[in-house]
Amino acid sequence: MEEKLGSISQTLIEGKADELQKQVQEALDGGATPEDVMNQALVAGMDAVGQQWKAGDMFIPEVIRSAKAMSGAMDIIRPKLSESGGAGSGTFVIGTVLRDLHDIGKDLVAMMMEGAGFKVVNLGIDLDAEVFVDAVKEHKPDILGMSALLTTTMPQMGEVINALKEAGIRDQVKVMVGGAPVSEEYAEEIGADSYAPNAATAVDKAKELLQA
Amino acid sequence: MATKMNQTNNQGPQFEVLTESQIEQIYASALDVLESVGARFHHEEALELFNNSEAVVTDKNLVRVPASLVERALRSYPRSIYLQGRNGKNQVRLVPNEVAYGTGSDLPFFIDRETGDRRSTSYKDVNDAARILDYLPNYEFHMSHGIVCDAPNPQTYDRHQYLAMLENSTKPMVLTSVDGEGLEDLWRIATTLVGGEDEFRLKPQFVAYIEPISPLNNDRTAVEKLLFAAEKGIPAMYTPCPSSGATAPATMAGMLVQSLAETLMAVALCHLKKPGMPLIMGGVTTVMDMHTTTYSYGAPELSLACAANTDISKWLGLRMFSTGGCSDSKTLDEQTAVEQMTSLFYAHLSGANLVHDVGYIGSGTIASLDSLVLNDELIGMVRKFCEGLNTDEDHLALDTIREVGPAGEYLTHEHTFEHWREWFMPKLQDRSDWDTWNTNNQKTMIDYLKEETDRILNEHEPEPIEPDQYKEIKKIVHEADERHS
Ligand code: B1M
Repeated sequence: MEEKLGSISQTLIEGKADELQKQVQEALDGGATPEDVMNQALVAGMDAVGQQWKAGDMFIPEVIRSAKAMSGAMDIIRPKLSESGGAGSGTFVIGTVLRDLHDIGKDLVAMMMEGAGFKVVNLGIDLDAEVFVDAVKEHKPDILGMSALLTTTMPQMGEVINALKEAGIRDQVKVMVGGAPVSEEYAEEIGADSYAPNAATAVDKAKELLQA
Repeated sequence: MATKMNQTNNQGPQFEVLTESQIEQIYASALDVLESVGARFHHEEALELFNNSEAVVTDKNLVRVPASLVERALRSYPRSIYLQGRNGKNQVRLVPNEVAYGTGSDLPFFIDRETGDRRSTSYKDVNDAARILDYLPNYEFHMSHGIVCDAPNPQTYDRHQYLAMLENSTKPMVLTSVDGEGLEDLWRIATTLVGGEDEFRLKPQFVAYIEPISPLNNDRTAVEKLLFAAEKGIPAMYTPCPSSGATAPATMAGMLVQSLAETLMAVALCHLKKPGMPLIMGGVTTVMDMHTTTYSYGAPELSLACAANTDISKWLGLRMFSTGGCSDSKTLDEQTAVEQMTSLFYAHLSGANLVHDVGYIGSGTIASLDSLVLNDELIGMVRKFCEGLNTDEDHLALDTIREVGPAGEYLTHEHTFEHWREWFMPKLQDRSDWDTWNTNNQKTMIDYLKEETDRILNEHEPEPIEPDQYKEIKKIVHEADERHS
């Protein structure tokens, strides 16, 4: 079995989505627990991807290919995990704030979160505070992510946090913010729980938030 | 005396990235994209204009445009554009192969000259940058080097930036704006300065900076600005900012096809609105760094794609807004110098008309006054090289060589006296010997740079705006603040 799980990790690192789904299904059919597949094969594989990316041995297109494969594998694993009462990696909702049309950085963060096993809901761009509040109510995410690339739209992130408070749901969700003009201090100022300067760090910070 | 026949002289080095047949391939592919893929427009009037033409609108806002419309439109744009400063001087001529330099716009962070740290950009910073730009001889136009973060309202920052620049500079400008209303205010300010709407059309003082959203998407505010510019005859550029591999194909040719399609969409739309506005082609065409995800301002691909784009612009008969003098480095260091110099060189060789983003560091997020001063020196070197060399009788210097003869010297010859000033004169570079350098506290370029920046800030006094005009302008800015308060 250990060998099988190792080969799943390898398929994930190579980003072969169809093959990965097949192998995951086979492992489950062969009696592996969803927890083992998740932790020993998938999470281990994505950890290796993350390390290789940071070391400069893997690059974004390869990392994203693995992340997409991971997301496909999670579609199989997630229902099994909840059946057996185990926890998946959580839900992450993300969007770009009102009057801001920059989307590629936000999309990258979303893809990397998928790669980390999160169920991701990508709301889009130019979003009203209300849309964020409704999404939190609907999807009950562990983390709400907001992206702003303009100094002129950054304050919107604070508005959304206020709207969450007004709706009485601020304490039900962790808030992460990011985007080129955003900083750690700014995140603190508006009462966000976390800030990340790039997609790689965003994943690390999200994992920290889940453990907190 | 015998005369020369069939002589060809190079006025400067000759440089091209694309051959004519390659340009034709790219152009034909862009037309194919317009006809078969189309672009989205999130603007009612634009959709109506397209609907009433031979273009086809489907799926609510997906516009496909036939080549015939694009070709007809292309013929209606001016091939030369003349910009001028607020005092009627400092003309910039946008004619083929004439290169002018300017800053880039809206940087959220500024290097504080006291602490050396990064902080958010203020009105005063934009003021200082404008004063330095007004002084430096190698810059012909400017953009608001930083974004005014302390404007009373984020929705009116554009008016404050224009004001800060006008207070300190008499050079023509390229202006970003918040939306159509913002552009209208900027245009009202300029018409106040130049003496009315018609005068502005003859002597425009600024170009409106407008961008599509790659790939092939046009948001409401961008289109609003385009249509306003077309109606009033305001020079404007519709400048795609694709990142290869993320918002455009990972191949340079593919990125060029897509951005040309984006440009040609604007060509068609503005023509339908009102033929003849001075539309300028543009593009910050670069790659997304696949290790860091940074939109790279220092990549050689940026220079390559921009130079190729300039080749295309010349073939189309449109003037070109290009990019150079920028860097991904976070501070003034070796990386900055290498990247800024490289992109300046290629932008110049390509013969682009307005080279912008000069002085950018931090991948388009950080402004630095010292970086502006550095680039003035770099542009001087580039300009010297790109002048090429003269081979007339006097410059061939046969007579002088004869006169000096073997084992002679040129130092005392009149010919030297007459010509050595044609050379580039470094201001910030140290060419002294080791001992002199040692006794001079081992100063490096960065030290000279800082002194020069201080000196300009202390000494340069820009020509003031007429008090009456200034009052009028302040009123327009004030009214905008009131409307948005
Ligand atoms: C939830 O938690 C998290 C955690 C991390 C998060 C996160 C959320 N969100 C992001 N991150 C982080 O992780 C991501 C991946 O590693 C990273 O995301 P990024 O988005 O930073 O990284 C991307 C992968 C690559 N980076 C990018 O794609 C952005 C590059 C730059 C050059 C840029 C681009 C490309 C664009 N732009 Co815009 N643009 C600039 C940018 C300069 C810069 N270097 O940031 C910036 C941000 N833009 C600026 C401006 C002025 C504008 N732009 C505008 C438009 C555009 C384009 C549409 C042309 C295009 C965006 C296309 C698109 N599909 O997104 C206009 C505004 C439109 C609007 N209303 O939104 C306009 C206002 C220009 C105008 N006047 O028309 C400047 C900001 C000024 C300010 N006010 O702060 C700017 C710094 C460039 C400049 N110097 O002018 C991290 O930030």
